[in-house]
Parts: sequence; structure tokens; C-alpha cells
Amino acid sequence: MQEKKDSILLIGYGRYGEKIAKFFSGKEFGLYIIDIDENHIQRARQNGFDKLFTIDINDDEVLASILMQENFSTVFCAMDDEETNVYFTITLKSIWDNLKIVAICESKESERKLKLAGANKVIDTMEGSANKIFHLIEKPAVIEAIEEILFLDDEIDTREVEIEKGSFLDGKYIKDINFKEEFNLILIGIIDKETGNDFVFVTRGINHKMDAGDILVLIGYKDDIYRFIKDMKESRR
Amino acid sequence: MIVIILSSVAIIIEETEHPLYYWLNFYDIYIVTTIFIIEYLLRLWVYVDRRKIVIEEFENSVFLESRFNTKRVLLKIWRKTLQYIFSPFAIIDLLAILPAYRELRILRIFVLFRAFKIFRYSKNLVEFLDVLTSKRTELTMLFFLVLFIVFISGASLYVFEAKTNPNVHSLLDAFYWSFVTISTVGYGDITPTSNEARIFTVIIILAGLGLISFFTSIIVSSFTEKIDEIKESKVLSKVEQLNDFYLICGYSHLAELVAQKLKSEKREFVIIEQDPKKYESIQKRSYLAIKEDASKREVLERINLKNRVKAVMCLAQDDIHNIFIALNIRSLSKSIPIISRTFNKNSYKKLKLAGVDYIVSPYETAGLIASKILSQPIAIEAVINILSKKKNAVCDETEVLKNSFLENIRIKDIDLDKYKLILLGVRRIDENGKKFHFNPSGNFILKSGDLLIIMGYSISVSHFKSLVIESSLTHARKKR
Repeated sequence: MQEKKDSILLIGYGRYGEKIAKFFSGKEFGLYIIDIDENHIQRARQNGFDKLFTIDINDDEVLASILMQENFSTVFCAMDDEETNVYFTITLKSIWDNLKIVAICESKESERKLKLAGANKVIDTMEGSANKIFHLIEKPAVIEAIEEILFLDDEIDTREVEIEKGSFLDGKYIKDINFKEEFNLILIGIIDKETGNDFVFVTRGINHKMDAGDILVLIGYKDDIYRFIKDMKESRR
Repeated sequence: MIVIILSSVAIIIEETEHPLYYWLNFYDIYIVTTIFIIEYLLRLWVYVDRRKIVIEEFENSVFLESRFNTKRVLLKIWRKTLQYIFSPFAIIDLLAILPAYRELRILRIFVLFRAFKIFRYSKNLVEFLDVLTSKRTELTMLFFLVLFIVFISGASLYVFEAKTNPNVHSLLDAFYWSFVTISTVGYGDITPTSNEARIFTVIIILAGLGLISFFTSIIVSSFTEKIDEIKESKVLSKVEQLNDFYLICGYSHLAELVAQKLKSEKREFVIIEQDPKKYESIQKRSYLAIKEDASKREVLERINLKNRVKAVMCLAQDDIHNIFIALNIRSLSKSIPIISRTFNKNSYKKLKLAGVDYIVSPYETAGLIASKILSQPIAIEAVINILSKKKNAVCDETEVLKNSFLENIRIKDIDLDKYKLILLGVRRIDENGKKFHFNPSGNFILKSGDLLIIMGYSISVSHFKSLVIESSLTHARKKR
């Protein structure tokens, strides 16, 4: 997923857009930025981004031509104004139905609207922040641990691994394999295609049978994950 | 105390019709009175701080290099004592004691004074009196007006009818009639008979209606003026009773979400918000809220932060205000954890300087999530679910308590699988500070004070936590 060079379209370079752009700038993504405000685009230019477009919110043709230029894997709708964000989401979907859209919102109200407008994923930043504050005051060590694992320690990675046909995992039960002892990995959960497309935490206590196509969610050091994937690939018959 | 007072009044009412049981009489005369006397003396003792007066006087005399004047000090104390004795509440207290002397029948009326003592113990009644005293000028005006009208009309009736009306015997009857009439009660035991007096009565009744509505409007208006204050003092007294609560300064959308979370977890919290509109919406949700500016020192002083507030959250709508609030809190307490929201990236440093411990930025959160959502959508989803408790799975911390079954044990010997838990890591504080050990090896030995970061369903987590606490307690009991 991360290996091939993807193009990402970011709509909005306001407070949200700027932060999101910053997190992508270091990675090997082709980042395109669109905004309706010339000032925002100016600031993006100063911050070192070059694929910038200022567009008129009602001019669908310009937007369509930008979408044609590049094969965008994902579009982030991150306008500061929630209404504009919903508008952009629905415009994009009307131009290209298959586009994968991740949208930012600040309330349950607009989350619903964004989902109706066709956003594939909605990030409720306020809800996220509220949860963070709650954990900070009640369980600070948990927040520290999660931040360390997800964001701070570059060596630690979470990874979704799809079980390949014929590998040593295919047909085994999750309790048969000791992920910690054998691979130094923590198995968080599984998407067991037999029971549906939902993610299930292993702590539910179900002894899932792993089949080809199921997805394991693992946390561990990058090297260990790499070794695990390699082992799995090599064990294919 | 209120029960004692009410029982005492009930006894005297009972006594008017039936003879009393011996024990009731004993209770009323000796026990109740003794309690009242003790209360009276204690209040008297506490009111005058003798030691302070003596010390003050002594210091003054040392400073002025004059002789310590014992007489003056005693006089000062005596004056202060007298001051208390003649204060209204003290007089009521004293009158409430008097009825113990049963031989003087007239004193029995003072038992009812015991009822007045309830004022001391009921905040609502005191507030009512406060409202009335705030309108003292208007009420005095009204009183003199009533007095004037009663006097004029009473005198007139006496002049008109003293000879002809058999019911009007004296001037007192006339005044009584006039008061009953203007108050619109109108018993009808005395009625005017002559035409002149009747015409005159119509005028008095009209005047009476005016007075009544004047009186009502004074009371109503003073209550509407004071209602906010009364509500606020109610909230403050509720806040006073709280221990270990969170303080949320500013009621933004984020604050609303945090409040919802705290409420659902049954945590106590108080919101400070000065904007009337927002304050109204807080009240609709019946959260405890104070309508004040959290950046004012006196507001926070009134709440008495120390040892009561677990953490403060500055969630106002702009950074400047949040910095002000943080500084304000830091000036009162160095140790309370402060969490602040930030909008502008430039404010980060300033908030830190103002003493904020944790800074939360929704923009930053959005960026972090967005950056991971492409490569690890399911993992991010899982974490969001854990944090928002959507799927009942939680992440929690458990301390390795002293003498619990976790202490000095290797991680692989705990068998967390049995408890349906996952161990993400261990946080240990040693001489090098805090360190998070991610996924420690099976041979990692736990020490007391370590925090286990575990993940699982909330029921498994709380079960495990209670086991740890239990094992630690059992050990302590065995030792004893």
C-alpha cells in the first residue's frame, strides 16, 4: 500500500488542510492541493508545496479536469467551513462516483451530511479531541501509550495483513499460533470473512479460523512485521 | 436541629388539648432546653475570638511600648459579647430557651420563637429574607403608606359611626376595620351602616387594591432581580459539596462533547461560562455551571480549587482567553493538571509558558488521523473505537499494586489470554523518568508502581483490575 507512489488530493488549505498537508509532506505521496481562497494557496506555496490550484467553488469543469489529470487514490475534504466541505464532497461524488473521499467534520450533524453526500470515511475531529481530553484526565498513560505506538515511535507499526492462500496461517485457528512468542507481535483483531466484514477484537475471546482473504491487524516493530509477512509469503505452497 | 425545634413546637400544640406524658414533658423541658443552652453558649463563645483580641492588644502595647492594659482588653471582649447578645438571631435563640420556665405561663408563647430558630438552619428561608431586605426602602414606604391610610380611614369611620354603629366600640375597632378592608380580606364583622361611611369605604377599598398590587409587585420584582443570584448561590453550594471534580472553562462544542463523556462516565464536573446564551444551553442539560468569567481570579478563589479539582480544561473559543484562564489557575495552584485546546499553532509555546500541561488541537488530531488512515485504515478505526468506547472495547491502565499477584512476576506467567486481555506495553517510572516499554518480552519482570496498558472488553478490564486490587488487599490482611 505504502510502497507505490500514490497521488492524493487535498481540498482546503485552512487550519485543517495545513496540518494534514504537513503530515503528508515527508512521505512519498504526490500531494495536490485545491482551495477556493487565493491566500491559502499562497501560504501553501510558501510552505513548499507546488501542485496547487485555486478554483471557483461553482466551477465543476476545472475540478473535473484536475481529477482527470491524475489518478487520485484518495481525496481529503478538509475545508474549515463545514458547509463548503459537504458541498465539495457532493460535487466530487457527482463528477466521479468511484472516488475515495475522506472528509473532516466537527459535529455529528455534519458527519451525517457528509456520509449522505458520499464520503467513504468521516473524521470527527471534535469527538476525537474530546476522547483524547477524557483519556488525558482519566487515563493519561493510555493516551501516552497509544500516541507512542501510533505516531511517535517510527519503529512501531500497526499493519493489516491479508492471509494468503496456502500460507502457514491458512486454515489454522488464531489460538494455535502464539504471535508474541513466535513473531514478537501483538494481534489486535481480525476481519474474519466467514463471519462478515466487521473488525473483531481478539479479546472478544472467539477462536477464529483463519482463511485466505481474512485480514489480521497486528502491532509490532517494523522488522518483526516484515519478517512475519516474509515468512507467510515463503510458506505458500 | 430542625427536628428538635419542630418536635418542641408540636409538643406545645399537643399540650393545649391533652395532658402530656411524663417523658415528653421531660424531653421538652430538659433535653431540648439543654441543647439550646449549649448551642447558645457555644455560639457566644465562638463569636468572640478572645485570644485574637488579647494578642492584638498585646502586640499593640509592645509596639507602642506602653503597658498592657488588662482592663481595656476585658472591656473590648465584653463589648463584643454584648454585641452578639443583642443581635437578632441571638435574641431569638435566647427567647427560645426561656419557655423552659413553665411557671410563667406567658413565656410559653415564646416556644413559638423556637420555630424562628429554623431560619438559622434553612438556607431557603434566609434567602427569602435577603430578598425582602434588599427592597427595604420600598417596603418601608409601603408600610408608612398603609399606616397613614389605616389611620385616616379608621379615624374617619370612628367619627362617622362611633355613635350609630353598635359594632364600633372604640378607635381600635375602627383601625381594625380599616385594616381588614384595605387588605381586601373583609371579614364583615364590622360593616359601615351610614351612607357617608359606605361611600368612604368604596374609596378605601380602591386604595387597598392599589396597595396590594404595589406590595405584590415589590415582592415579584425583587425576586426576578435576585433569581439569578439565588440560582448561582445554589450552584455554588452544590459545588462546595463536591469533592474531586473536573473544571471546564468555556463551553465550546468541544467542551460539550467532553461534558457528555464525563456525564456518561458519572464523573463530577463544573462548567464556567460567561456567555448568557451558552449558559442557558448548559442549564438545559442540567449540568452544574457558574455564569462567570474564568479568567477572573475571584471566581476561581470562590470555588476553592486546591485539593478538590482533579484537572482543569481550558476549552474557550480562542487562545488568548485560554492562556488567561491557564495563568489564572496557575496563580492559585501550581499542581493542578491543566489541559487546553489550541487553535493557532503559534499559541502552542505561549500556552506551555502559561503552565498548561497538555495541549489538544483538533487540527493536529485531524492531521495525525489523516496521515495514518491511508496506510492503516482498520487499525485507526480500531483505535478510534477504543477511545470512543463504541464497540465496548477499551484500553485501560492498571497499576501493579504492592503485594498484588502481579508484583515481581514475569509477564509470560500472568497468562493474560485467560483474562481475555492484550498487553500493549508497560509504563515504568525509574530514575531516568517515564518510559513506555512496548510489547515487553515474556521475561520482563513487573515491579510495583508499573502501569500495565491493557486492552480488552470493558467487562474483562474491570474484572482484571478488581482482581489486582483484591489480591493486594488480601495480602495486607494476611500480614495483620
